[in-house]
Amino acid sequence: MINLIVILTSAIILALLLVWWRWPMFRVWIEAPKYSMLRQENRFDDQDKEREPATNSSSSGEPA
Amino acid sequence: MTASAHNLTGRNGPVTPGVAVLPSTEYDLIRAHVIASLVTVVISVLFGITVATKFTFPEFLGGHGWLTWGRLRYNHTQGIFFGWLGNAFLAFFYYAVPRLANRPVWSRKLGWFLFGIWNFAVVLPGWALVLNGISKPLEWGEFPHVVDVFVVLAFIAMTFEFVLPFLKAALSDLYVAAWYIIGGIIFTMLAYPVGNFVPELVPGARGAAFSGLWIHDAVGLYVTPFALAIAYYVIPATTRRPIFSHFLSMVGFWLLFFIYPLNGTHHYVYSAIPISAQKGAIVASAYLGMDVILVVTNLLLSLRASSGTASKDVPLRFVWFGVVAYLVVSLQGSVQALMPVNRFIHFTDWVIGHSHLAMIGFASFIALGGIAHLWQRVPGTHYNERTMNWSFWLVATGLTLMVADLTIAGLVEAQVWESSAPWIDSVRAAGSYWLVRTLSGVPILAGFILFWISLVTGPKLSEASLSAASGGASEHMAALEDDSPGSVIPGWSSWLSYAHVVAFGAGVGFFALSFLVLAIIPGNQLEREIKQAAPVTMATLTASEQRGRMIYGREGCAYCHTQQIRFLAADVRRFGAPTEAWETKYDFPHLWGTRRIGPDLSREFNLRPRDWQLTHLYDPRLVVQDSVMPPYPWLFDGSPVRPTQEGLDVLAYIQSLGRARQLSGFEGRWLASSVESGTLDTAMSNEPLARATAPAVPIAMVGGYSLSAPILHPAADQGDLQEEANRGEVLFAANCASCHGFAGAGDGKASASLLPKPANLTAARFSDERLSSVLWNGVAGSAMPPWRQLPTEDLRSLIAYIQNLNASGEALRTQEAAGLGKALFAATCASCHGVTGEGNGPTAGALAPAPTNFHLKKPSEERAWDVLENGVPGTAMPPWRDQLSVDERRALVEFVRSLYGPPQENDRQ
Repeated sequence: MINLIVILTSAIILALLLVWWRWPMFRVWIEAPKYSMLRQENRFDDQDKEREPATNSSSSGEPA
Repeated sequence: MTASAHNLTGRNGPVTPGVAVLPSTEYDLIRAHVIASLVTVVISVLFGITVATKFTFPEFLGGHGWLTWGRLRYNHTQGIFFGWLGNAFLAFFYYAVPRLANRPVWSRKLGWFLFGIWNFAVVLPGWALVLNGISKPLEWGEFPHVVDVFVVLAFIAMTFEFVLPFLKAALSDLYVAAWYIIGGIIFTMLAYPVGNFVPELVPGARGAAFSGLWIHDAVGLYVTPFALAIAYYVIPATTRRPIFSHFLSMVGFWLLFFIYPLNGTHHYVYSAIPISAQKGAIVASAYLGMDVILVVTNLLLSLRASSGTASKDVPLRFVWFGVVAYLVVSLQGSVQALMPVNRFIHFTDWVIGHSHLAMIGFASFIALGGIAHLWQRVPGTHYNERTMNWSFWLVATGLTLMVADLTIAGLVEAQVWESSAPWIDSVRAAGSYWLVRTLSGVPILAGFILFWISLVTGPKLSEASLSAASGGASEHMAALEDDSPGSVIPGWSSWLSYAHVVAFGAGVGFFALSFLVLAIIPGNQLEREIKQAAPVTMATLTASEQRGRMIYGREGCAYCHTQQIRFLAADVRRFGAPTEAWETKYDFPHLWGTRRIGPDLSREFNLRPRDWQLTHLYDPRLVVQDSVMPPYPWLFDGSPVRPTQEGLDVLAYIQSLGRARQLSGFEGRWLASSVESGTLDTAMSNEPLARATAPAVPIAMVGGYSLSAPILHPAADQGDLQEEANRGEVLFAANCASCHGFAGAGDGKASASLLPKPANLTAARFSDERLSSVLWNGVAGSAMPPWRQLPTEDLRSLIAYIQNLNASGEALRTQEAAGLGKALFAATCASCHGVTGEGNGPTAGALAPAPTNFHLKKPSEERAWDVLENGVPGTAMPPWRDQLSVDERRALVEFVRSLYGPPQENDRQ
């Protein structure tokens, strides 16, 4: 049981580190979501700012 | 309107030309879930404060079944779990999923359906049913099965609502918060039925293995992923900087989902569950600590250069506190799982402090931060910053006080349990800590209420606040546009094209792995062990005992009394033989418990008489003066001597505990020698079939004392004797007065419902041998328990004090009376009391309580006269007033009183 856990955990970490070390493009690929998340957040903020005066007193009503 | 049109226009207002089309956000559902979360957290914390108050004032709200400690305790944890955190997480999902998936949630109607199920088919009915006594005694699964069905339905609805929007998302677009949301929903949807239904089908130790899985998964794979999703979202969204490393966040995610399910059995270390499963869980716990270090390091590094923001932005401060608490509580959890620590602190208040640090310090702080963060961005809402700041400090102060207090309380309790002090001493020692714990709940409650107030008293013009919230965004985002890499590696997306495939596969795969490693394999091993070890004929519970078991479960008895004696010397010394798997083969579900406020009840069979048990159930303080156990008057018809059928059922169940073990006749020599040599724990790790006899069972005395009892003599020196007697008076008041009365006259509060009555210690003089034997072994057939767990000096002090209660001795009045008395004694009393009055007549062996040995006990004239007149109810001693004349009885009184002291040789003639 212990051996199984140790081997599997070590294998997961080693595999990830190996991929990280061997393929630089993987690093770019794996880090991409943290930027896309912020871009998306900014888009929503921009949209909210645009809409705020029109919807300030309403909730999530259907568009007219 | 079609779905696509809906998405194009959004549901929040008209789209401005030139602005990119974004998915809609269900703000109404966010508001509804936020309000529901705050209503339920206030109610849940009130439940918590009420149950905490009952530790100090056990009679508080104690007259009704639906306000008893156990039921309120169930509602406290389930309310936090479903009502507070569940609604808070759902509110966050409605905010974050459209942003993370770039698609709206599945359906608004499904959303309101989910809201309805969650609050009006799970939380409210769950609370109501539990208060009405319909529940199940499974930790983190107390709501009854009818509610469980709706919980599973809700998770299926969540899968549609929040997981399906990610279906079209490529793996490279999936931010770590989304991974946690998907993983948490899928995993909990699978784990919940296993933890809540399987223990009802798989009994005892095998069921406990499944139950342990859920106990840990509930916190680790429902609370933790969703809280981490909020932390991973709020930190970059507030600081406007990307997290430190998405790679590290993914390593943390995968390790969490792989390792966390493997932790479950660490709740049952030193139990009958196979040692391989226990050690596997311990190793997994250590790995989990390392994983959490990685996750927290990544999160805190994401706050680099944003310390100013963290101090000013209250939502971010909530999240920061939660992240730090996550590190502390996880490392604490890893250490707690280690055997040298676990043997000491398990079952104590330390663990309660740990769970409050997890559920409030980690999960609730992050949930509060998440709600505050999104509240700023919901149209038309804004929080009151000053009030929210107060809320933060109140909750933080209350929590810090509570965790510190409970941690120290746990260490104190553990120290007492390791010693030979009586169990009630640990309750007394914890009393002041429990009071502080109750008081610490008040600022936490006030903090939650203020948080609510801050949400509804904020400024209404949110445009400015939105700008403020987005302040500084432009420059960071400009840099972001320049620095952000492309998101697709040619060739990769061909086989990892859809995130949900990986996430779903991982959720199912890791669940199956934990299920196999911690439940199926140990379960099969236990089944084989049970087949080998169980007696050929092992009686099932009677119908009455079975009903009693259900009442025991519904009243939450298992949350204070374990039925699990661990393979530890301290446990065995105090409670008896360790609990083995075969003993639990008919326990549907298991009632092992994970906390001890009262003693373990595994060996209650034959331990105490029926009248003591009933009196204790009716009002525990009648027999145990400082007990904090709730009274159960609704199981009686106004008096402890008039139990209802339910009361009799509970009595029958309690008195059946350990019956199979005692009747099986297993020898305890091997274990006893291990206890003596102090090698028990090591030996037991290698020998799961160890046997022991229960040392706490009263041993029948023959001739007024037991050879197994050491004879303790009070000090010979008069000054020392007085000192011992003074000390004995204090001990007597604490441990004996509830039955024997403060003056020792046998008229304590419990005496009205005990049969035979507690001894009137003023009406007889007792020898050292007699008192030593009674204190060491108890009195079989009476409510007098053994007190051998008291230190020897305490027992000596009690003997010195009790002997002081009747110090008078008188010479026999006339030789003539002596002759008559001796003849009468030989004719009428010797068959039970023996020819010499040593309590060893031919019938004595069959009597319990044993006949009095008059060489060891000298009754007063009044007492002896009363016994001859009326007999001793509850014993074999009959009244003699109709058979003997007044003169004959007087002669007998004189004679038996003359026997006190060592028997003379001529007495035997």
